[in-house]
Order: sequence, then C-alpha cells, then structure tokens
Amino acid sequence: MRGGDAGAAAAEAGSPRSPDLYDFSDDSDYAAASHHTAMRTDSVDRGSDETARIDVVYEKERVTIHLTQYGSGRISGKLRLFLQRGSLFLSWEPNEGADSLSTSSIGVEIEKYRNLYTIKALPLSDVRFIRRHTPTFRLDYIIIVLSSGLAYPPFYFYNGGIRELFATLKQHVFIIRSDDDPNVFLVNDFQDPLQKSLSSLELPGVASVANAMSRQNSLSFTGANDESRHGTDGRHGEASSISQYGSKQKNKSNDPGRDLSIQVLEKFSLVTKFARDTTSSLFQNNSGAHAYGRQQHEYLLDNEASDKQKNQYITPEKASMPSAPPEPDPLPLVWGKQRDRPLSAEEWAAFLDPEGRVMDSKALRKKVFYGGVDHVLREKVWKFLLGYHEYDSTYAEREYHAAMKRAEYEAIKSQWKSITATQAKRFTKFRERKGLIDKDVVRTDRSVPYYEGDDNRNVVVLRDILLTYSFYNFDLGYCQGMSDFLAPILYVMEDESESFWCFASLMERLGANFNRDQNGMHAQLLALSKLVELLDPPLHNYFRQNDCLNYFFCFRWVLIQFKREFSFDQIMLLWEVLWTHYLSEHFHLYLCVAILKRYRQRIIGEQMDFDTLLKFINELSGQINLDRALQDAEALCTIAGENGASCIPPGTPPSMPIETDGGLYVQQDDVL
Amino acid sequence: MAATAGGNKIRNAKLVLLGDVGAGKSSLVLRFVKGQFVEFQESTIGAAFFSQTLAVNDETVKFEIWDTAGQERYHSLAPMYYRGAAAAIVVYDITNAASFTRAKKWVQELQAQGNPNTIMALAGNKADLLDERQVPAEEAKAYAQENGLFFMETSAKTAINVNDVFYEIAKKLLQGQQVQNPQGGMVLNQRPPERTVSSSSCCA
Repeated sequence: MRGGDAGAAAAEAGSPRSPDLYDFSDDSDYAAASHHTAMRTDSVDRGSDETARIDVVYEKERVTIHLTQYGSGRISGKLRLFLQRGSLFLSWEPNEGADSLSTSSIGVEIEKYRNLYTIKALPLSDVRFIRRHTPTFRLDYIIIVLSSGLAYPPFYFYNGGIRELFATLKQHVFIIRSDDDPNVFLVNDFQDPLQKSLSSLELPGVASVANAMSRQNSLSFTGANDESRHGTDGRHGEASSISQYGSKQKNKSNDPGRDLSIQVLEKFSLVTKFARDTTSSLFQNNSGAHAYGRQQHEYLLDNEASDKQKNQYITPEKASMPSAPPEPDPLPLVWGKQRDRPLSAEEWAAFLDPEGRVMDSKALRKKVFYGGVDHVLREKVWKFLLGYHEYDSTYAEREYHAAMKRAEYEAIKSQWKSITATQAKRFTKFRERKGLIDKDVVRTDRSVPYYEGDDNRNVVVLRDILLTYSFYNFDLGYCQGMSDFLAPILYVMEDESESFWCFASLMERLGANFNRDQNGMHAQLLALSKLVELLDPPLHNYFRQNDCLNYFFCFRWVLIQFKREFSFDQIMLLWEVLWTHYLSEHFHLYLCVAILKRYRQRIIGEQMDFDTLLKFINELSGQINLDRALQDAEALCTIAGENGASCIPPGTPPSMPIETDGGLYVQQDDVL
Repeated sequence: MAATAGGNKIRNAKLVLLGDVGAGKSSLVLRFVKGQFVEFQESTIGAAFFSQTLAVNDETVKFEIWDTAGQERYHSLAPMYYRGAAAAIVVYDITNAASFTRAKKWVQELQAQGNPNTIMALAGNKADLLDERQVPAEEAKAYAQENGLFFMETSAKTAINVNDVFYEIAKKLLQGQQVQNPQGGMVLNQRPPERTVSSSSCCA
C-alpha cells in the first residue's frame, strides 16, 4: 500500500514542465539543460563498468553542489545509483578539473571542497530520507539525510532526472512517502533481513523526524572521501574498491545559475557553509590546537547511529583541508522552516469537533509551534497548551471544570485572606512572603499598559495570585521570576482563577527552576552545555578555555524562558511555541544554542571572558530577532535529533519532575 | 573613557553589590554607571555585570561591578560573585528594618567567607524617603564602625552620595594598594587597560 504511494510520488516527482517556465531564459546553457529534461535522455546503463560486480542502475550528469550564495561557486558532478552484492549504493563524483569559475578567487576553495563532498559509495540503508524539491521556477534539487541526522548539501539537477532517480530507487529499495510531507521519501534498505527488522522498528521515529524536517531543512554534513578507512570494513571496503569506476567528466563551461533566485540559493549556501564549519571543526582536531574537536570526533565514533558513516564520511586523519581559524559567519549557519502565520479563528474552529474536543492535538501543537496563536485565541489555546484543560474535553466539561477550579481557588485564597493583622504579627514567613511579592509585582511589566499607572487593579490581582500560589504550593513558595511568568498569563486570561490554574500548571513543569538547591537550573545549564558541545564544538571549546562552562551567562534566559529578552508581544508568541513541546520539551535550550551561535563571531572574536560575556548576553535583551532565532533553533533541534535528546537527562525541566517520596520541592526550613 | 591623561595605569577592581530584595542595588549601579533612575526597576534575575571608570587624583580605577539577585533563594549563587572581589557594597533600605538585618548577615558572611582585604561599604539607600525611615542613621553608623565598614546613606533616586560611595571605595583601594603588600593580590589587579574589549589592538 505504502509502496504504491511511493510509486505515485515517484511518478509525480518528475512531472515535466515547459522549459520556458524557468526564469533562466537568458542563459542558453540552462535552457539547453531544460530541454534535456523535457526530452528525458537520462542514461541508465546497467553493469557496463569495469567491475563486473557493479551494476549501475542510474546515472546523471551535472548534478551540482552550490558553495556560495550566488551560485558562483559550484561543483558539478555525476550522481549514480549502483548495485553491489544485492545492495544499493549512491555515489557522487565531482568532475575532474575546474568548473568555469575556478579561475576566480573562489576556484581555490572549490578545489578544496571537491574531495570533501565526494560520495564514494553510500549504502541506501544509511539514508533516512530524501527530500525532493521541485520549485516551479527554479532548479530541482534533493537533500539526502542520513540516519544519523546528518545531511549532504543539496544536489541540484541541472539536467533534470529527479523523477528517474526516485523511480529507480523504488525498484531497489523500500521508499515511503511521508504522511506529513509529500516531498519527503523515507528510505530503507530491506535487502538485509536484520536491517529490515531494525528499520521497521525504527519507522515511527523516522516518520516523526521526517515530519519535523518537512519543508526546507538544513542539516550538518560530514565530509566524504575517506580512503584511509576503507577496507577496514568488509562491505564498505568493497564498496570503496569500486569507487574508482566513475569516468571523469569533461567540464562544461558556463555553468548556469548565477541569476538563480538569491532567496533559494542563500539558503543552500548556508548549508554548505554549515557543512564547512562542521567539517572544519572536525579537522581542527588534527592540528592539536583544538582538543575539543577530538571529543566531537569521538562522539561521532561512539554514536551508534553514525557508526557506519564514520568509516565512510569522517576523515579526520586524511583531511587535506586546512584548519581555518574559527570563522564565524555573518550568515546564519543553519535555517529552519519559515515561520507560519498565527493560528486563526477559522483554523481553530476546524480543530474542534461539535462538542468542543480538540480532535488532533498534535496537529494543533504543530501549527502553534510554527506560527503561534492569534492573540484573541490565546485565552482559549493556552489553557490546553499549559495543561489546564484536557484536549479531549468537551465545552460542557470545561465549563464544569472551570467552575470547580474557581471554587477551589477561592478556598485557597481565603487561607491567607483570613489572616488577621494580629495573626500576621506572629507569622513571619507570611509577612516575608507577602513583602517579597509586594516588592516584585509593582516592578513587573509596568510599562505594559495593562499594568501601568498608580493603583492598578491588575497589579493587585498579580499579588493575590502569587500569594495564593505560595499557599497552594507552600514548599516552593514565591521566588523572584515567578511574577515574570504570571504577568503575561494574567494579561491573556483576564481572569484571576484561570490565571492561577494556568500558572500552577506551568509551575508543575518549571517549579524546579526555583528550587533552593538550584538543581533544576543546573540540570538545564548542563544540558545546554552538552548541546553546544554537540552542535558547535568550537564554541564549546572556547567556553571551556575561558571558564564559562557553567553557562551562568544564560541563567536568566533559562530561568524565566527569555522573558526579559523580548518584548511583551514577542514573549507571548515564544512561550506558546515552547509550550507546544512539539519538537522537544526542551526547545528553549535549542533556542539558547541558536542565539549563541548567532553571536559566536563576536563572542570568540572579542575574546569575551565570563564577565564580559554575561554583560554582553544581558545586553542582547531587545536585540534578538525572534523569528530567526526560532528558525535556527528548529533546524538545530532537527539536526541534533536523538543525539540532542540524549544530552538532556530525564526529569530536566520543563519535563514533568520525577516524583519522589519526599515531595516535589525539597526545601530547607528557612525558605521564604 | 579614561578621564585622565595617558601614562597612568588603569586599575581594575571587582566590586559586588549585596543586599535584600528591593533595597536598590541595581538602582545604585544604574545611577553610578548610566546616571539613570527607574521608579520600578525590575528585579535582577541571576546577576548583571557593569563596568565604569573613576578617576582619583592622577589614577584611574575601572570598576567591574557585579549586581546580584537579592532573594535569599538565590543565596547559593552569591559566592560565585563575591569571590575575589576587591570591594563590596552591602545595601539596605532605610525604610525597611528587615533589610538592615539582612545587610548585617551579608557583612558577616563576607567577613567569614570573603577576602580579608575586601573593602566593604554599607549603603543605607532610599535616603530620600525620610518620612518612612525605620533604620536610624546612628544605629547603622555605629554598626559600620564596629565592623570596619565605611557607611553612607544614599539615594539612587536623587543621586545623593551615590558617586561618593564609589569614589570612597576607589580611594581606599588605591590607598590599600600603596600600604598593603601588593602580593595580596585580590585587592587590585594590574592588567592592561581594556583587556576585554577590542583586545585585537593589543600591542604587546
């Protein structure tokens, strides 16, 4: 059944288009290429190469990698699929010699990366999925993503041939079109029965990752071409022995594409740039100057998922690439899916069944993750996101629930309301808590009109809710930062009881941020450190060398989930994105990584020490581009995949705490 | 930035502000560093770092100022900030007796845990709110004398005595530098000026 889907998809993939649809009509070379596409002259020669064991089932010239933003740096090559011992392999060999532009300054660089991007023999069993991109007015391209989560840069098909590629794949491997994105094809090699069973076990995960990676994706990339390691492994050794078969292509001159849409190319140049950074961070290891690179290397070697790839793609020993000094990029290193529009009233209505149940909570969370929520709907949607309402509750059930909760709130509130002045004199802890809360509410978001001005009634409500919460959760009490969380919630809910319960739900996850022993914060900062180590080894190395590994400079970001870093409007958007827990419960940590990566050039370039770094980070408040940071974080989260998740121990906030016998908030006696 | 003529050294001095919630630590720093005052200065989460230079005669002190969160809950982070400090300003609110009690606890902690050479100042802030005073100036002054602190009542709002506190600290730092054994180390570090910013122009 699924195979049928894939077949249909493959057939659709290369649906012919008229060449004059492309806006390259001024480029004769490309026009010619387009005609080729239309005529479909792909060569498929079987078993005609020098090694009898090799059966080439697909071959396409002018499959090209773009190195630079404007397409001026390109490496053209030949993409093949071939069978060996019943398994399907993919190879990509760059053309020997120079492309037309190699005489320019960029030519040297191209030469440098020619070998780096070569794929000698990639078993299809190592491929998680291939994403097909057939933009209407642009070159078609594919992105190959490995099981490890790593990816190759996009391959542009200057001569067409994507349709044939998928048709051929379908003949030899099991490919499934993703449910979430018709352009994503999950690939598994079922030649090996063991593989087959493993792959089938893995499918749900694969599907969810594919889902996450729908639309544009950027991923890191490990360099290809490791001669030294081939032969150490039976299958791969053989694969490499045949890797010489590729006939060297004559270079064509006048590669088209310099007038390709900047918008498209920009993105892909980022991938290649990211690829370079990733690989160079690996290679820096060799120079010995960056000991931390070794850890990254070992990490990859230790990683089971990439175990196979290591033999083929990771080449620290043989790397010919010079280890450039840290070369932070003014361009983003990664990109994620374009931000979506906020959830609209019509869309929201469509999520509900006639009785008010949210029918597909995952789809809702996905929508909110990518676009947020129209402000008028926040009051409804946040109650689900925060866990105050169940997704499968009906209108009537929610109404009843709200009434019960309102009564419960009033009962808790009356506990402190009934404390008389005389009683308070003998109740130091109460006086202290109240004093602390009184001090904080008058300085929380006072510039927001809702809280501004003298004798503002909403400030009193903030105080009442926080004081009630400190009775509801007496062990945790009140802690600075809580008012930051509550202010937007009350602003959205405009209802004391519902704000209280939404806040209480949020504290179920984030209460540990405020524990006296700081364990919740330490867990998150440690996880952040591991994520940076995974996703930006040079930056991690820099922090290590400068005694910044405690990541306290991110303390404020993490403690109150960026509340102080963005405007009030932005923070509502950011929080609803985080609260979906769509890609990860710990998406805020990926956001930290994304922002740090944005500023890594300045951090490293200006040799910031801990003090300077903390000052710098604090002063980023109001300067961070939220949409871009979210896109970056999404891409990083996807890249990191399970490797990222494994950096974060279970129970790390905002995961629900692991309950122990001693209560959730172990506190000492002198807690305020 | 350096207000004095070239040739003299810029002496870096780490300074930490400690004190109860809402005593006005951040406001004192903002007044000193930026000349600003905000009526509802938001609470400090974690810590904030500022730097400011001050000229004393022909010498310049560059203060590297750590402004900390006041809540007892965050106490465990404090040593990270006061460790190695050349100076500390312990702040209380003259309209809040509890904040004075808390200030004394900070002084005790610094005396016990901090560097003995650390210069300590006690600042009774919100001195403009005389009508609401709860802590008599004499009481604080006597406490300061007993404990070898120098004491001033300040107002971040009106700027009274704010620069003076820092100036006094700078003077004491420089005196201490001359009198005390320079190997004491923690009091003043002599580093190249502008160590952190635009270090690429380093000519050494």
